Amino acid sequence: MKEKLLALKEQAMAELDAVTSLDALKDIRVKYLGKKGPMTEILRGMGKLPAEERPVIGQIVNEIKSALEKAINAKTDVLEKQALADKLANDKVDITLPGRKAEKGHLHPITLTMREIKKIFMRMGFDVMEGPEIENDYFNFEALNLPADHPARDMQDSFYITEKFLLRTQTSPIQARTMQSREPNSPIRMIAPGTVYRNDYDATHSPMFHQVEGLVLDKNISLADLKGTLELFCKEMFGSSVKIRLRPSYFPFTEPSAEVDISCVICGGKGCRVCKNSGWLEILGSGMVHPHVLEMSGYDPSIINGYAFGMGVERIAMLKYGIDDLRLFFENDLRFVRQFK
Amino acid sequence: MLASISWLKNYVDIDVTPDELAAALTSVGLEVESVIELGKGIEGVVTGKVVEISRHPDSDHLWVCMMDYGQGGENVQILTGAQNVRQNDIVPVATVGATLPPSGRNPEGMKLKACKMRGLDSFGMLCSADELGIDSKLLLPEQRNGIYILPEDTPIGVDIRKVIGLDDYVLDIDLTANKQDCFCMTGLAREAAAVLGKTMTMPSLKVKEEAAGKANEMARVDIACPELCSRFTERVLKNIKIMPSPMWMQNHLRACGMRPISNVVDVTNYVMLELGQPMHAYDYDTITDHHTIVRRGNDGEKLNTLDGQERILDHTMITISDPVHAVGLGGVMGGLETEVTDKTTTVLLEAASFHGPSIRRTSKALGLRSEASGRFERGIDIARCTAALDRAANLLEAMGACETVPGIIDCYAVPYEPALIKVTPATINTRIGVEISREEMIDILNRLQFKVEEEGELLVITAPTWRQDVTCDADISEEIARMHSYDKIESHMPALDLVQGRQDVAEDVNDQVEDYMVSAGMDEVMTYTFIHPNAVDKLLLAENDARRTYIKIMNPISDEFGVMRTCMIPSMLQTASYNLARQVESVKIFEIGKTFHPQSLPLEDFPEEKQVLCAVMSGKRNALSWNTSKDNIDFYDMKGALEGLMAALGVKDYKLTLETQPYLHPGKSCAIVYDDKVIGYMGEIHPTVADNFDVPEATYVMELEISPLVEAATRVPQYVHLPKFPSMSRDIAVVVPKEVSNAELESVIRKFAGELLQDVRIFDIYTGKQVAEGCKSLAFNLTYQASDRTLTDAEVDASMKQVIAEVGEAYKAKLRD
Repeated sequence: MKEKLLALKEQAMAELDAVTSLDALKDIRVKYLGKKGPMTEILRGMGKLPAEERPVIGQIVNEIKSALEKAINAKTDVLEKQALADKLANDKVDITLPGRKAEKGHLHPITLTMREIKKIFMRMGFDVMEGPEIENDYFNFEALNLPADHPARDMQDSFYITEKFLLRTQTSPIQARTMQSREPNSPIRMIAPGTVYRNDYDATHSPMFHQVEGLVLDKNISLADLKGTLELFCKEMFGSSVKIRLRPSYFPFTEPSAEVDISCVICGGKGCRVCKNSGWLEILGSGMVHPHVLEMSGYDPSIINGYAFGMGVERIAMLKYGIDDLRLFFENDLRFVRQFK
Repeated sequence: MLASISWLKNYVDIDVTPDELAAALTSVGLEVESVIELGKGIEGVVTGKVVEISRHPDSDHLWVCMMDYGQGGENVQILTGAQNVRQNDIVPVATVGATLPPSGRNPEGMKLKACKMRGLDSFGMLCSADELGIDSKLLLPEQRNGIYILPEDTPIGVDIRKVIGLDDYVLDIDLTANKQDCFCMTGLAREAAAVLGKTMTMPSLKVKEEAAGKANEMARVDIACPELCSRFTERVLKNIKIMPSPMWMQNHLRACGMRPISNVVDVTNYVMLELGQPMHAYDYDTITDHHTIVRRGNDGEKLNTLDGQERILDHTMITISDPVHAVGLGGVMGGLETEVTDKTTTVLLEAASFHGPSIRRTSKALGLRSEASGRFERGIDIARCTAALDRAANLLEAMGACETVPGIIDCYAVPYEPALIKVTPATINTRIGVEISREEMIDILNRLQFKVEEEGELLVITAPTWRQDVTCDADISEEIARMHSYDKIESHMPALDLVQGRQDVAEDVNDQVEDYMVSAGMDEVMTYTFIHPNAVDKLLLAENDARRTYIKIMNPISDEFGVMRTCMIPSMLQTASYNLARQVESVKIFEIGKTFHPQSLPLEDFPEEKQVLCAVMSGKRNALSWNTSKDNIDFYDMKGALEGLMAALGVKDYKLTLETQPYLHPGKSCAIVYDDKVIGYMGEIHPTVADNFDVPEATYVMELEISPLVEAATRVPQYVHLPKFPSMSRDIAVVVPKEVSNAELESVIRKFAGELLQDVRIFDIYTGKQVAEGCKSLAFNLTYQASDRTLTDAEVDASMKQVIAEVGEAYKAKLRD
């Protein structure tokens, strides 16, 4: 009997070894451990055995049963893993096909540049002020020390609406408006971004463009402070290796006045086509606010003074993004707009 | 402004290179835009004499010249096709091996080789002025064609560059409006001397005055309008001999961009360039009574100016007149009848000071901007009028071209008072942010010829007469700063209170709107705010539409940019059209821009400027891909953009109403209403408008005012507790006539479902075989929820039963399987 049982176990184990599918494994389980299987049959026939053999055989049968059980479970585990691996091996996507995405649009490079300029100055405590695009002669020119028939008006060819109204040629009128809206001699730290207009239309001029003007009024403000502020701005905008240079210039609303150059962002100052081999790029105009400008807006230049500056946003965007044609900004070719982020 | 360096060297010893001089001048505020090397590319061109000339035996236009250009030995044979060469002429000879600069005839320049022409050798070339790179505008008409014939006393065998002044460098200076003192060679020399640490010498003003008589007895001047003319001076020059001016003078004039004409005119121009004082020469005998009167023009008075045009004068124009008629427009242009001609024997020379703004107005009104008017506009050195007369007489006498009558007629109506400025060095240092010593300040001011006296701490400064731009201590600061050097100013951050910089909340909301639009796949564009006036017609706006009241620009670039827009749609449709024409398959664009609305016209007060969002969509919904819909954009794409934007801003209680615009499709458009006001429109563009703007009919637009939404958009959202109990949902399908709107059905459902209903969502619309003709089937998903318990089927079913009954009452409804 015992030999018969051991032979049975041997046979079952051999079959288990050979099995390759979960279905076949199921059959083996039924065959050996099922109700009609040999083990059940032997247990059922235990009554015919001599009493002293029964426990021995019983124990052997149980041992074999549990060994088989264990072996079948182990095999199940192996085969299940195998089956999953086979399934995964055949279940593939083509990762080279394009995905399904929500396409994002693009901000215009002028908006991107404008936002960056505003952010840099707001971090330095400058408020952002707005003003009308259709401005009067008084705020656009006179309050900025540019009386009628002043030759410096040639610097800004204007679009006129009437004798009195025009499209603002600069955002500086907001400086005068802000001063006049405040308590006289109170400190001001502001920038005025916006759209401006000049009657000039060719490859390097657009009749509409954008400016950011800045104004700081306080006690004991100096040209050195102006240089420091603009140096910090340029480094934030173009990178910390940028250098700046001030050159004497003329603007009716500032005295002394300075043109500000940065070291060429293309060649790093060595000289290239963009900087016309000078190593420098002109990027903004600035100076100490002219006493007349302060007086006209109710400030006393012996108590308070300050500096002002103005920059062309298109110019900065062109340098920042390497754009070589101003006209692209207003042609609105989407193949252009979609290049920026 | 152009400045010849060799000319500048007459007044100051310049021992630096042209580039170094340019850098030095730029550093003190005279921005040199470029340094031009005259004669660049000319090598091996010398002066030569035509010893013999004969026709080429085999040509009817070629000439054979035997040339002596100082080569020694035999004359050299050179052929020319020019027809203006005569025996003994002195001409520029490009010898074999010579190089010529790029020019009109030889855009690449050229290198001379010996060649054969119709069988005869030619060892070089006779040159025209153009071939030497001289701008024809700087030449007399007779010099523009053919070979450049040089004066007969020109030495032979000399480098042509030396002879015609091409051995020179010219600075192109972008002169700022305040530097009127540098609008002349001596002014630039003064600045150069100050920055290079040199001294300058003024040109000679010695006049022999050898003619008989006295100027005061020969001519008379009266100023009737001292507010427009503060000084008017004259000299009388007799025995005038009109001839070409000497080569050196012609060379200097050309280098500075002026065309030499003849000696008297050239001298007036030369002195203007040298001293900054514009001058005018009259034929003495054409001035009635030799009496000059400076007065305002009479309205409607006529004058023929030097350029042959008849000008109509008015009372704002400074008119130079004799007792009978006008003879010139002061500071702008002289009259034709009193012009100096070949027959002139006596010249009346004028040097005056006119009111800049008036000159500016007159020259603008007549379209006559000149070298003279440009100088008067900025203001001239009034003290220099007589010096200019002396210098002109000095130069003409030296040429043997005149004899000067003793004396000057000087009518000095308003004497000039130079500015007196008192300032302490500390004030100047504070303004600049440096520590410059008192001594250095005084030295700088002295170098610029300011007079400085000391009164205790104060510097008492008198500006020289040519520095009318200096009027206050800020001006003195600039003089000190620029001469001390801006480069030496150390950067410093202003010591100010720590504050937070802010922008207006409306700007924050604009940024939010832009960010949403971008996240929804829209590209931002930037269009001109001025548009063509016919845009309102193309939009089919009614005759009485307020948007036809637009603001016109007086001097637009062109009609295309003629008026300020009252509506953003035209600019945006143009942009869409531009891109669709460039094969952009999906155009989804937006802009936040301004529209301009006058209260009345002509404009008397500031117009209203509205900030408006405008979006346009046209073309494919998606970029072509394997797994996205290939459908075209439709109404619901634009509506989705609007809904998404409102959700992003947190604006809930807006409505869409059936109100349309002339430029929209009447059945596919609506108004956007918020707070009981229409704040925008959206929909499909009207087919005619689509045609007018060359966009497809399936083009969708939205325009929306942002400012009414600012308050809602800046509200901080407040937390609502999350539901603790599960929701239940039911679907219902309703067959209704086609005209019934979704909103109508939805409101019926909401009305009868009871308060447990949380949400109604439409998820299917069906028309076709299964429903009757003229009907549609709408399927809704209803979500029920209670905040205090889990709902039972019975509760929900009861509500549904009610809904079906009521909806079925109105329409035909059934539960969806």
